Order: sequence, then structure tokens, then C-alpha cells
Amino acid sequence: MKLRINGTTFRVEAHPLERLLDVLRIQCKLTGTKEGCGEGECGACTVLLDGEPVNACLVPVAHAEGRSITTIEGLGGTEGSHPLQRSFVEQGAAQCGFCTPGMLISASVIPAGARREEIRCALAGNLCRCTGYSAVYRAVELARAKRARRRAR
Amino acid sequence: MKRFEFVEASSLAQAAKLAAQPNGAVRAGGIDLMDLQKEHLAEPDRVISIRRVPGAAEIREEGGALVIGPLVTLAQLASHPVALAKWKAVAVAAGEAASPQVRNQATVIGNLLQRPRCWYFRNELLQCARKGGPDCLSQEGENRYHAIFENKDCAIVHASNVSPAAMLFDGSVKTVKADGSRREIPLAKLFVKPEVDITKEHVLEAGEVVEALVLPAKAGGDHSSFLAAREKSAFDWPLFSLAVRLEMSGNVVKAAQIVFGAAAPTPLRREKAEAALVGKAIDEATARAAAALCFEDATPMTQNGYKVAMGTALTARAILAAV
Amino acid sequence: MPPRPRRPRPLSVVGTSPPRLEGAAKVAGTARYVDDLEFPGLLLGRTIRSTVPRGELLGWSMGRRPRGLHVVSAADIPGRNAIALLEPDQPCLVRREIRHAAEPVLLLAHEDRDALASVAVELRERPRKAQLDVRASRSFCKEILIEKGNLSRGFARADRIVEGEYTTGHQEQLYVETQGVIAVPEKDGVTIYGSLQCPYYVQKALVELLSLPPERVRIIQVETGGGFGGKEEYPSMIAGHAALLALKSGRPVKLVYDRSEDMLATTKRHPSIVRHKTGVRRDGSLTAMQIDVLLDAGAYVTLSPVVLSRGVLHAAGPYRCEDVQILGRAAMTNTPPNGAFRGFGAPQTQFAVEVHMERIAEALGIDPLELRRRNALRPGDTTATGQRLGADCSALPCLESAVRRSRFVARRRAIEKHNAKARVSGGPLRGIGLALFFHGSGFTGAGEVKLASRAALELTPTGARILVASTEIGQGTRTILSQIVAEELGWPLSRIEVADPDTREVPDSGPTVASRTCMIVGEILRRCAQSLKRALGRMTPRQYLAKNGPLVVTEQYDRPKSMHWDDVHYRGDAYGAYGYGCDVIELEIDPVTAEVRPAEVTAVQDIGRAIHPVLAAGQIEGGTAQGIAFALAEEVVMRDGRMANAQLTNYAVPTPLDTPPMQVEILEFPYGHGPFGAKGVGEMPIDGPSPAVVNALRHAGLDIRDIPAVPERIAGLVDSMRGAAT
Repeated sequence: MKLRINGTTFRVEAHPLERLLDVLRIQCKLTGTKEGCGEGECGACTVLLDGEPVNACLVPVAHAEGRSITTIEGLGGTEGSHPLQRSFVEQGAAQCGFCTPGMLISASVIPAGARREEIRCALAGNLCRCTGYSAVYRAVELARAKRARRRAR
Repeated sequence: MKRFEFVEASSLAQAAKLAAQPNGAVRAGGIDLMDLQKEHLAEPDRVISIRRVPGAAEIREEGGALVIGPLVTLAQLASHPVALAKWKAVAVAAGEAASPQVRNQATVIGNLLQRPRCWYFRNELLQCARKGGPDCLSQEGENRYHAIFENKDCAIVHASNVSPAAMLFDGSVKTVKADGSRREIPLAKLFVKPEVDITKEHVLEAGEVVEALVLPAKAGGDHSSFLAAREKSAFDWPLFSLAVRLEMSGNVVKAAQIVFGAAAPTPLRREKAEAALVGKAIDEATARAAAALCFEDATPMTQNGYKVAMGTALTARAILAAV
Repeated sequence: MPPRPRRPRPLSVVGTSPPRLEGAAKVAGTARYVDDLEFPGLLLGRTIRSTVPRGELLGWSMGRRPRGLHVVSAADIPGRNAIALLEPDQPCLVRREIRHAAEPVLLLAHEDRDALASVAVELRERPRKAQLDVRASRSFCKEILIEKGNLSRGFARADRIVEGEYTTGHQEQLYVETQGVIAVPEKDGVTIYGSLQCPYYVQKALVELLSLPPERVRIIQVETGGGFGGKEEYPSMIAGHAALLALKSGRPVKLVYDRSEDMLATTKRHPSIVRHKTGVRRDGSLTAMQIDVLLDAGAYVTLSPVVLSRGVLHAAGPYRCEDVQILGRAAMTNTPPNGAFRGFGAPQTQFAVEVHMERIAEALGIDPLELRRRNALRPGDTTATGQRLGADCSALPCLESAVRRSRFVARRRAIEKHNAKARVSGGPLRGIGLALFFHGSGFTGAGEVKLASRAALELTPTGARILVASTEIGQGTRTILSQIVAEELGWPLSRIEVADPDTREVPDSGPTVASRTCMIVGEILRRCAQSLKRALGRMTPRQYLAKNGPLVVTEQYDRPKSMHWDDVHYRGDAYGAYGYGCDVIELEIDPVTAEVRPAEVTAVQDIGRAIHPVLAAGQIEGGTAQGIAFALAEEVVMRDGRMANAQLTNYAVPTPLDTPPMQVEILEFPYGHGPFGAKGVGEMPIDGPSPAVVNALRHAGLDIRDIPAVPERIAGLVDSMRGAAT
């Protein structure tokens, strides 16, 4: 079976109902995607499937075949150069860091100009036990503002 | 997790045929099936995926009715402009289910047919009545989240957000069976009460596959409402939920429909209260009186009496919100 | 007049907020947690657990064994079958006696996950009657009595006596990364890679369990996805299990719990029952405080005596009173043992005292704000143990700052007007509540002297390398310790490195607990930096190394000369320093659904000195969110001695939608023996929210004395209140 992950094709041997999460972590060695609960509650395993956030622990790998998959490794490379990643560090939005990849993936599809309430709703499926979320909101807003400023130039 | 065969069907009829063989299961979004397998509540030998079935992911308007295919996700329905305008309660209910990630993956039909969340049922170590055990363990146990109606044999609450809202519109499901025959089942007849058969939640036969959820247009669809009370604001099954639709003539109710979701093992129409609203103008007092009627036959358990007060007040609010 | 904060000398690194050192790796997804590590020949482990809360293990039988299965039972333990901590009462594996459900009995390992899961094990257990009611338990693992002045004299001087009982439930730490370790067998010992807070605790436990000398038990902490106390003592258990499997199989073994097992088996916050009897004069001054604290320790001692200690030491709150008696007891039951959780007993007892203060104000008919102003500790006052507080005692400035910043008085008035109307219309009610609290930093009393922590700095060609066993678990250890060292050396932060916490490489700087890392370990490191600077003189590190060879400077904890503690009578200086805080929380209560929505939070906290203001604010915001949920949402449902809701679906941790906007203000009343004035910050933020929430509910008219106040509890009260209003 072939998977299209972060723009690269991966050839994997997996039972069609294997969890996408396990295939990503074990076969593709993309360990940035984390498992926090295995029941779709915590969002630590969030990846994009055709641009939409889903819980990789609830997606059988067969359902990801032929679709475009984006993991944290595909967001800003090993440097973490995506504006969201930089503002997460700057604002202290990553503490223990375990929910961070999933949180960033969910945040990456929040439209520019989203208000605080929309940000909250978009992140409703991602649990963070460290920050109380305040720093996460600040980081998302800062990254959006920076992008808007860059565009204005 | 058990190893099983995985088959991709090219049509729903083919899926039905494959699923009818012993121990098959059909998956669309597959959220509930994934969960049930993890908890060893479902151990199919063969799983049939319908994700490649053409057109299954579409929402269409057909002869005034909204037709929702078996691969349509909750997120799709929640943001569908026509659904939001004319089948408002349904779209709202879909948008309030679970989390953004799950709504992107879980299907509307899967939401209708999901198995109950009762913690005794979900615990693989326990044998409750629904799993063939002698007793409903919630009767003497922790029952704060359980049913307050029709709860003598089994006190699960109906888990779907979508179904009470869909019942406001006299919705039905169209299915195809293993032998290729088709039928249409009104939602009012789809769900099975524990006293009829305690082991199943719906009447679908082995291998019977849902082709579509059909929601006829109804007057007052834009004024329908869905309300739920939860313990936390995201990703939680409701403590109590209901949907209300009012057909108004001026400020007087011409027809009303009230359906409870997370209150009984199956969605519960509240006809007596509906009748009481007809011909009345809606104000605080009529809403409260109708709400009180809805709970006349409630039979709360040892720990869930709070749901009666909560539900009564929420019902009054939903009636006021539907005007 | 309260003292003003001393103006600190200008600093260049401390007080700034550089990117956290491992931040880039965390956001890029390249940070490696234990489950991300690979070892050749790795086996996966599984734990078979008791199903009854009390009884005897008669035997076990196993269905088909797949080839390559390894099994470990108590008989395989080479050393002592106990988890060495305070008392050796907790076995690593059940031999015969079962004291709680989910107690580990057998260990399995196999290389294939499915094969491992398919093994069916049947335990033969003879159940015995279990003690599940803490009030009925007569078995206490610790009793502490604190006496100050003369209680009967105090009651005699009182105009009124106010009594109350307040209870709190279990709380699960719910770090997002579950517990996990990998044990790798070595030629003559074992190496543990783990998600943990205290490498040397694990080493101590494994030395006893495996009967190996310490140098053959190597513990390496890897990136850890949160701890909150939950990874203080339990990692010794899971590391013990993995090590036994690794030594028996001769292969590396990974044991990572799934969420459900983690919730069923690991420690939680101690449930508490606290009774207050308070003598008070008409003007609000406290004349006598009699406090009875009961904690549910669970089935084994673990850390309960020290949790109780911190609990009783904070039980009187940040208030002055001359005649005080505090009796604390930790009782044993047949539930899984409770243990460390951020706050460590103090959130429970301060919940009680702060809710009780509100009831005292009500009984006297005076403003609860005035009651706190009158009684708040001031510099020169003494605590219940007789500790005389210095100029950094900031209870009153915290209170005033929170009141001002939150516009508490004006908002309270506006809410009362709003509620008068809402009670008639049935609309949402509001309430605003306040809590004043304090938190001692570091180990209690003589604890730091006994620990005698050591930290070291190693000179590198480009700067210095920090050698400590203090762990980064999200709170920012690496970054703030580097800032302290850089500041003292007058170097840029980029010249400081931090060694991985590896017992082979780093000295024992003590456990990463008790809000001690910054204040205690940070100060030892600052002294290391001082010594290093002295040794270097005018040389650059490169010059020094070329001339003199390697240099490692080690310093040890040095008790401030003025600190004295009597552990027998619980008298004296319980903590080197206290942080103070005041929270104001406004809630909206839906009278229909009984949903309580925190609307706005103001948190003012004195932490002596914010080494890294962004990270410090992060501790305050995160701790506050956990504290609010402790009061309103997080309920561990115990049924027959087991957690019935051990899934994230059924245990309600706050989501982004449940967490209110927070306004945080940091005050700096420096502590002379902390690095650049710093006190602790990790735990204090969780002390205040729960009483502030319950006081806000009281303001809205709801009489809550037991938390969590989940909707189904509030529903009944709202209903009776509505009945009373109409």
C-alpha cells in the first residue's frame, strides 16, 4: 500500500485496518505524531487528511490511502520553521510538548483573521494539560498577525 | 485487536452482500467500530469498507427532501448551507457532536447507529444485560448518566445527537439488504426498545446497509432547535438532549414536535406535550407547562433525579428557542 | 503599610524570556519521548493486575502461550519485593496478599503486540472484605499534631464559633503522555530510559528490588510529556517491572501504559475531609483555629506522610492566629494508593480554610474581603508552627493587587444587581469569588538538610555545562537553570549547556518536586557559578582548560543559618520561603443545565523573582486551569475500589472551551536565599482556584462544601434555590 505523507510517497506493509497512527510512527518512523489516549479524545495524534484534521488513532490506514496526509514533520520541517511553530516557542505554548504536534496541526488550518472564539472552537478537540490554553491562543493570534503583516508589506 | 479480512465494496449492494456473511461489519467513517474493537465489543472477521462507493459522500436535495449519503461526515452536514437554513436542528446537532477532528471523520449515519456509551456496556470485563448477562448493572450501580425514561430493563441513553433532530422531520433511512432488496424505514421504527430486544439498538438486519438518511422538508424547519447539556464543553456525550420544531401561524402554534435524545434507550417523542402546545401562543408559561408534561412519566433512578429538573428547564428553553 | 518590593539590581538574562531550550524540537516533533525510542530486539511488556480490592492470590493459570513469551512473577525478584520509598510496604508484584484492585501480579513480555495481547491469564483470587470508606478506617499511616498557643484560651476570647466540614475528591494528574519506560539489560546491570521526574528515586528503588549496587542501575530521564507529581513515585514501580522483564528475557523491554491502565493503576490526589472550628471576634479577628485533616492514603504508604505534612502546614491558610491546633491523619483504605499531585496536600487544606473563611464572614455579617484584610499574615507575624515571617511575606499586597486589578468590589456589586433580576427571570446567574493562599517552597522542615542535594557545573571550551538530576517535564527546568548560571557568570545564555539527567553523569540534586527546582537547586547552581567564576579569574574557559585540565565545580545545599525546625513537635521554620497568591474568579451558572462556566480569572502571585516571565506565567495559567477543573469537573468515580470512569471520555479534563481567559500578574518580593530572589512557582497556582470557584458559587447563592461540584450535584441546589426565590 502506498501513502502520500508530507508530499513524499511511503510504501508500507499494513493490514488495512491498522491504525494510521501506528503506521506513521512504527513503519514510517514519523514519531512526531503522539498517542495520548487511543480513543480520539485528546487530539495528540491529529494529522491532516486532505487538509482536514482527523485523529490518526481512529483512522484505519486503508482510509488514508490515496489521500494527502500531513503530519507535524510536514508542517515546518525538522527546524520547525512554520510561523505557528515559532510563535508557539515564543509564547510558551509548548510546555511538556506532548500535545504540541497535534495542537499545531489543528491550529494550522485556522483561517487568518479568526477571532478568539473561533480559535477556541477549532482547537476544541486538542487537550493540553500544561498551559491552560491561554499561551496557545496567544501563539495562534501572534502567528496570524505576523502573517497578515508580512502580506501587507 | 483481532485480525480480520478487509474488503472494499464498489457499491452498497455489494457491501450488503459481503456483510451478510457471518461476522461481517460495514464501516464508513469507522469511529465507533474502531472504539468497539478496542474494547473487544465487536470482533468481526471481515470488515467491508464503503469509502469507494460513488456518490456516497454527497448531500443532495431531492424533491424537497434532504438526502444524506452514508459517507457524509458530521462536519459536512454541520456546515451545509441548505441544511442550516431548512433543517436547522439537524445541522446544529451534527455540529455539536464530539470534536472537530471526529466530526471530520465520523459519518452522520454512523452517528445514528452508534452503540451506547453506558460504562457498564463499554467495559469489556463486565457482562451487562445488553451483552447477554443477567442484569442491567446500572440499576444498582452508578447511574448518574443513565436513562430517566423506559429504563427498567436497560438504562442506556440513546447516544446520537442527530437522530432526535432528524425525527423532527419524520426522517427515514433507505437501506439495501444482502439479497439486493431495498426498503425505507422511518426513524420512528428504526430504533429498538430494550423491552423488544435488549441486545440491539436498531432493526437493521445482518448485512443491511444504509444508503441514505432522508429528511423531508417541514414547515418550521428553520425554527427548529437542538439543545444539550454536557459536563464539559467539547467532546462529551450529552447528559440530556432534545430537539424541538414548531410550525407557527402568526404567534400561535399550528403543529409541534418534541423529541428527546439522551433521556431514554431510544429517541422519545413527547406527543402529549406536543398536543398541548397546539393552538397556543408561546410564552414562558406555556413552554414550562408543556415541559412539565414531558416529564410526567419519568422514572429517575437512584442517582439521576437531577436530570428531571435539568431536562424540564432545558425543554422549556428549547421550546422558547424554536419560536 | 506593606513593604514595597525591593528594587532588584539590573540583570541581563534573568527576567527575560528567551525561547525554551528544547522548544524548537518540541514544535518540530523531533523531541524524543520514551515511546519514540528504538532498541534492537525490543520486547513489549504487559501487566496482569488484581481484580479484587482486597484478598489473597491463590494462583494463576494461563491459556495458550505464544512462542517467545516471557513471564515474571514475584518469585523472580532477585532483591526485596518492595518499592523503596518511605516505607517498604508496597510490593513490586503481589505474592499473596492483595490490598487494592489493579495491583500488579504478573508481567508478560513478547515482541509482537497482538501476540502479547492475546495471552489469556486467569487469576485465582479469594476476596476479603475491603475497607473503602476512609471515615471508617482506623488504620493510620501518619498522624501529625501542630499546636500553637492555647486553644481553649482562644475559644474563650471568641464572640462566635463557626464550624464547617469540607471535602475534596481524587484528581488524576492526566499528563498527556502516559507513564512509560524502557529497560535495557546491560552486562552487569540495567539501564532505564523513562518518562519520570526523579531519576534517583528510581535508582534507589531498583537497587533494592534487583539487589544491585547503585552504579549498575543507570537511570536516564528522556523527554517527559508532563508529570504534575504523577511521575514522582510511580515510575519506580513501572521501571521495576520493565527491569525484571529485561533481566529475565535478556532483551530490552518497553512498558508504556495505555490511558485506561494509567488511570486505573497509578496514583492520584488524596481525597480529603477537613473540619474547621474557629473562634472569631465580632470585628472579624481570628482567636482560635481548630482544624482536623483526614486524607485517604489508599492501600500503601507511598508518599502519604509527606503529603499530609504539607497539608497540615498549609491548613490554617495565610492567616494570623495565636491559638491554633491542627491534627492531621492519613488513613489506609483498599483503593489504589494516592500520591503526589501538584500542590501535595496544600490544595485540599487551603480549599477548606478559604471556603470556611467565607462562611465565617457570612456568620458575622461582615465583608469577606475585610475579614481577609484583617487576618492576612504580615511580615513579623508567625505561622501555625511559630515560623516568623520576613519582609517577603506578601499576602496583603497580593490581596490588594488582585482586588484592584479585577475591580472586585465594583464587579461584585454589579453581579448582585444582575442576580436579583436573574432570580426572577430564570436567566443565568453569576458569582464572583476570591481566595488568598500561600505555598511553601522546597522540602518541609529538615527535609532539604536530609536531602543534602548536590549540583555541579562543568567547564566546557565555550562555556559551562549544568549537571543536575532535576528534570525538565514541561515546566522549564533546563531554561531557567541555564539563565541563573548565565546571569551569575555574566555570560550569554548560548554558552550554557545542560546535561541529560542520567545517574551516571549527574549528581543527585534531589527530586523534581515540591516547587524546589528553581529556589533550591537554582541557588546551589548559582553558587557553583560563583565558584566557577572565582576559579576562572581572568582566563577564558579555553585558556583555563589548556592550562589546568578539566574543571567540575560541585556545591551542596546550604541551610540558611537562621532556619530551625523541630520535626518531633512540628515547630519552627517549616519552609525556607513562602510564595503568596490571590485568585479572583467570576462564574456564570446556567440555572437550567446547571453548567458552570468560568468567565474570567485574575491570578496574582508573588514568586520572589520571575527568572523567565513567560514560563512563570505558563505555570500560573496551567495550574489555575487544573485548579478550576479540580473544583468543577474532574471526578474520579470509585466503584468497588476501582476507578469506574478510567477513560478520557468519562473523566472530564478541561478542553479549550472550558478554560476561561486569565489575567496573570506576577509580584516579586524577593527571598534572600533564592537565586536572584526567586521562590517556587510550580505548585502554588493550583491552591487558589478551587476555593475561589466555590466562593463564587456561594456568591451566586449555592452552598457547596464538597468538590468536585459537577453539574449533577449543582442541579439539585439550583432547583431548591429557584424554589426559594419564587
